[in-house]
Amino acid sequence: MGRYVARRLIYLFVVLFAVSAITFGLMHAVPGGPFDKEKALPAEIIRNLEKRYHLDEPLLNQYLRYVKEVFVPEFSTTKFSSNFEDDALFKFKIGGVYVKWMNFGPSYASRSRTVNDIFRQQLPISIQLGLMALLVAIIIGMPLGIIAALKQNTIFDYISMSVAIFGVSVPVIILGPVLIWIFAVTLKWLPATGWGSKPPYLLGFLPTSMGWNFFKYAIMPPVALGLASSAIIARLTRASLLQVVREDYVRTARAKGLQERLVITRHALKNSLIPVVTILGPMFAALVTGTFVTETVFGIPGMGKYFVISITNRDYPVIMGTILLYAVFLVIANLIVDILYAYLDPRIRYD
Amino acid sequence: MRSKTFVFVSLLVLASMLLAACQPAAPEKVVETVVVEKEGQTVVVTATPEEAVAEKKSIRLNLGPGDVPTLDPALATDTSSIQVLWEIMMGLTRQDEVTNEVQPALAKSWDISEDGKTYTFHLRDDIYWVKYDAVKEEVVQVMDCQETPAPRKVTANDIYYGMLRTLKPETGSNYAYVLAFAVEGASDYNNGKTDDPATVGVKVIDDTTLEIKFVEPAAYNAAIAGMWVAYPQPSWLIDGDDCTEAQGDRWTETGFNQGIGPYVLKEWVHDSFITVVKNPFWPADVASVPQPKIDEVTWTMLDETAAFAEYETGNIDAAAVPLADIDRVKADPELSAQLTIAPNLCTYYYGFNTKAPVVDDVRVRRALSMAIDRQALIDNVTKGEQVPAQWFSRPGLAGAPTLESHPDLGIKSDAEAAKKELQSYLDEKGVTADSLDITLMFNTSSAHQKIAEAIQQMWKDTLGVNVKLVNQEWAVYLETIRSDQTPQIYRLGWCPDYADANNFIREVFAVNGSANPDKNSDGEPDGGINWKNEDFEAKVREAAKELDPVKRVELYAEAEEMLVVDAAAIAPIYWYTRVTVTKPYVTRTFGSAGQESVDKWDIDMAAKGQ
Repeated sequence: MGRYVARRLIYLFVVLFAVSAITFGLMHAVPGGPFDKEKALPAEIIRNLEKRYHLDEPLLNQYLRYVKEVFVPEFSTTKFSSNFEDDALFKFKIGGVYVKWMNFGPSYASRSRTVNDIFRQQLPISIQLGLMALLVAIIIGMPLGIIAALKQNTIFDYISMSVAIFGVSVPVIILGPVLIWIFAVTLKWLPATGWGSKPPYLLGFLPTSMGWNFFKYAIMPPVALGLASSAIIARLTRASLLQVVREDYVRTARAKGLQERLVITRHALKNSLIPVVTILGPMFAALVTGTFVTETVFGIPGMGKYFVISITNRDYPVIMGTILLYAVFLVIANLIVDILYAYLDPRIRYD
Repeated sequence: MRSKTFVFVSLLVLASMLLAACQPAAPEKVVETVVVEKEGQTVVVTATPEEAVAEKKSIRLNLGPGDVPTLDPALATDTSSIQVLWEIMMGLTRQDEVTNEVQPALAKSWDISEDGKTYTFHLRDDIYWVKYDAVKEEVVQVMDCQETPAPRKVTANDIYYGMLRTLKPETGSNYAYVLAFAVEGASDYNNGKTDDPATVGVKVIDDTTLEIKFVEPAAYNAAIAGMWVAYPQPSWLIDGDDCTEAQGDRWTETGFNQGIGPYVLKEWVHDSFITVVKNPFWPADVASVPQPKIDEVTWTMLDETAAFAEYETGNIDAAAVPLADIDRVKADPELSAQLTIAPNLCTYYYGFNTKAPVVDDVRVRRALSMAIDRQALIDNVTKGEQVPAQWFSRPGLAGAPTLESHPDLGIKSDAEAAKKELQSYLDEKGVTADSLDITLMFNTSSAHQKIAEAIQQMWKDTLGVNVKLVNQEWAVYLETIRSDQTPQIYRLGWCPDYADANNFIREVFAVNGSANPDKNSDGEPDGGINWKNEDFEAKVREAAKELDPVKRVELYAEAEEMLVVDAAAIAPIYWYTRVTVTKPYVTRTFGSAGQESVDKWDIDMAAKGQ
């Protein structure tokens, strides 16, 4: 298992290099540049801007510069300045040496921020929202799926699946404003927009206080976001469980005279989780790296919009940063899913 | 269930490893971790003790979605950034937010030389650099490095430093071009032809006297001297000095930021909100900028729909009305009483590529322009009580004609005249209207799509012309409409950088203007409206220099007639308005050029409490 994980981590770096190279090539191939604005800028101004951000250099140099800034740590005996050239995600001091590592570059659209700032300040909020949404999705989705499967073709099945269909077909852009209208505008129980935590964060991503002042903001958005995912989980759980209960080993368990409850929880359920866990990986990566619509509707200052507006703005460092971030989360989430398989199904071995 | 716990724990551990070291570099004071909190009633101790007794007045407004891009005057380009700078910074002059008249601000007065090019500004000597001290929870003066530190006043050197920093090529300022075009020698310094700052026509005579040499004796020179790109900037904070650590690109952040405006930055939580508090050191006798009555202003960064919901719950005191809610607001007795439709100095238009087939004939362009029923479009599609545009320079701009002074100027919707114009073209070419091949392009957006579809239908009904609609993604679109691929008809809008007609008709449509690019600098346009008319060029140059306001308006009126009627190079569609709701307890002005002067607002806390 250890060797397997090590191999997968090396594979992660290969994936990241491939993703960064493809993204870099694609974004420069698309027409339009970061300095094309509704108000056309004079050529001299664009020249200054391109020089400032090294966009006047050959593409290969730009890519190598990017890779170097991100992957190669820099050392210095004097303190790094507050300028963006010297910015980095990790800045610390060992002995008398200052070290900086991982500079994802400045944002061209938000002139006073770097991609590192966005990771530090916006990503934690998206992680908080995403984890809660995933929790909601699992808490609603799995029981619905299990009930539907065990009571197949009964009224419970139909109700559960109706809820699931509702979850899939009512997008956040509808559900969000409806929830706001009911709970914020009319009943005034919950705040309409905003988020209950801000930097600095505990361990880099957890809110420093978790009282009502945090949770009153964190009720509607995770529910709205989690509902759609819960529907997917419910349908998958149902289908998978229906298949598993027809397996030989379940019949054997029943033949042994095991209680139906034990047959389901100990034998059927555990095996039926494999397809569900498979989808949880990508779902986790998608939810915690930010969700554009949910964050916009509820005015949550997360990462989601940077995935979208960076492309509209041709904000190259932000495009690269967000895509690499997503890739890291996706690969790691899938790795964890693969490890989980071995626990869920002893027949799966990685050696 | 054990496995699920395992997923979470392992992911949490992994994520924390990834992020553990990502704490902000500067230790921030841990305040209450509430992002949107209701205005606390705690009394802020300010430098003027009598204020402490009064109840704190606070207001919440919205800037629109997304983080404010920057609070660095050298780098600001957008309305959100400029709005905040408008309150925490100050220029030599200030354009009144409603009338756009140029008023003294940092400068008490100015003298203009005989040739109208050299301006000598006399500065006030009672404006201090201030910052918000989070420990003391009050606004404090910034001290200098002398042995017995004295408060730093705003001097001519700060403005000189600010203008030169904006112009320096390494700064990479987008809006440096406004100074580069207007100030003598600024262009060469900005494009790197010289690195000698002495060649730029800005000179510090003494601490309170600054001389600026402009390229032209233009009417709008004083307005340009007051633009954000010419604001003072704190050299000691950006580059460091004996008693200040250099903050470089980070100088605008919470904790470092220093300002000189009627308000001071208290907190900027990126992507979330900005709070500014009243500057107690702001002098009482600045006519254009009174001492603020509201103690604290918070701007949220919400989407229009979310902000409107917050307005309805009572957490935001003034908000824009989303298009989808306009009908409901108008019908609601309470909301309709809070509704104001105020002018917004922007123009929505369709440009014609005057060198493209079919629309290279002025009769076709004029016919298309006249066949647009602008009022019907406004009533049924845009719904914000916009004004049908007869020409380009939005009335309300300095120098622009108004509908009162020039009711018949420009182009008006006229179906009969449109048919006649087109018929004469069709007869000459011997073709039929439905065989004309015309394409209208716009950037992908449902709002532009609806407008384009309505106009497409009008052209079909009135002229029998079938116009094809094409849309492109924004950045691709911007490249297309400035290249030789410019489609026959394309959509754009324009809003002021400084509220003067020069910033509209000349900076957009004169050769090498924003919508008439001359990329190879041969004096001939090669994209956009692709239009050159020597008389027009001369007229807008002459108007820029004209100092008699009445004559100036006449010159612009003549230029507009050439642009939208004689050549019909564009079809102006509507002049923007702003549809806003404001709570009844707020007394306010309505800024027309993009900024609100919150320093002039007031709030009746007793009425708010009810």
